[in-house]
Amino acid sequence: MPGAESLVWVAAVTVVIWLGLFAYCVGLARRVRRLEDES
Amino acid sequence: MTRARVRTLLQWALCVWLVLVILGAFFYAPSALGFKGESARIVFFHVPQAWVAVLAFCVNLVASLRYLRTRDALDDARAAAAARLGLVFSVLATVTGSLFANVMWNSFWNWDPREVSIVILLLIYAAYFALREAVPDEERRASLSAAYAVLAFVTMPFLVFVVPRIYWSLHPDTIIGATGKLKLQMDSRMLQVLLGSLVGFTGLFCWLYTLEVRLARVRLARAGREEA
Repeated sequence: MPGAESLVWVAAVTVVIWLGLFAYCVGLARRVRRLEDES
Repeated sequence: MTRARVRTLLQWALCVWLVLVILGAFFYAPSALGFKGESARIVFFHVPQAWVAVLAFCVNLVASLRYLRTRDALDDARAAAAARLGLVFSVLATVTGSLFANVMWNSFWNWDPREVSIVILLLIYAAYFALREAVPDEERRASLSAAYAVLAFVTMPFLVFVVPRIYWSLHPDTIIGATGKLKLQMDSRMLQVLLGSLVGFTGLFCWLYTLEVRLARVRLARAGREEA
């Protein structure tokens, strides 16, 4: 684990969470749009 | 302007907002006094995650009560979507809290009342999904899980707001104090970023919840067509 007290460590974790959630949202939005178009 | 276009615009506005919050958390807000290193910056993400988890469990309660009144399968899907998001954001709040604990107290887990109460809450809502998986009949599953959700919600205020304030805790002072008064004694720049993050996470929750409900609507419509 990188130095736990470093700003980089806190930043990496939080940015990964944000980006992970956002990427999931974008993927799910595409899937929902496709399913809505199909039906 | 079409609905799809409005959605795309809101999506990009939220993206820009989240980037601004991240930049604000690390470059605009000053370091907090009395905390090791830069660990306190996690508050800009940890507090909104906990807030969204509480919000999601409230939505789960409302949708469950609506289901018990209307018996509409979409209300059941709304309740399940809200509980799922509540569980996800509770896990994220626990993970970020645990990272903070490791920096401050050299251990990821300290059996602090707040850590224990959030785990009990996680188990209660995990049991909601175990219940849903265990009942094959759709109507029975929806009724039982709606009733369970109402009971589960009763424990939430105790586990989130009461228990951690009764016992001595390592957890830093919360925004809402033991007397129920707001304690926003922080640097104005930190407060701006925290409030911005609260808005961003709430927006993210609304987006996720709307998507889950739209997905459930499509699935229900398909199931209805297959039955007909």
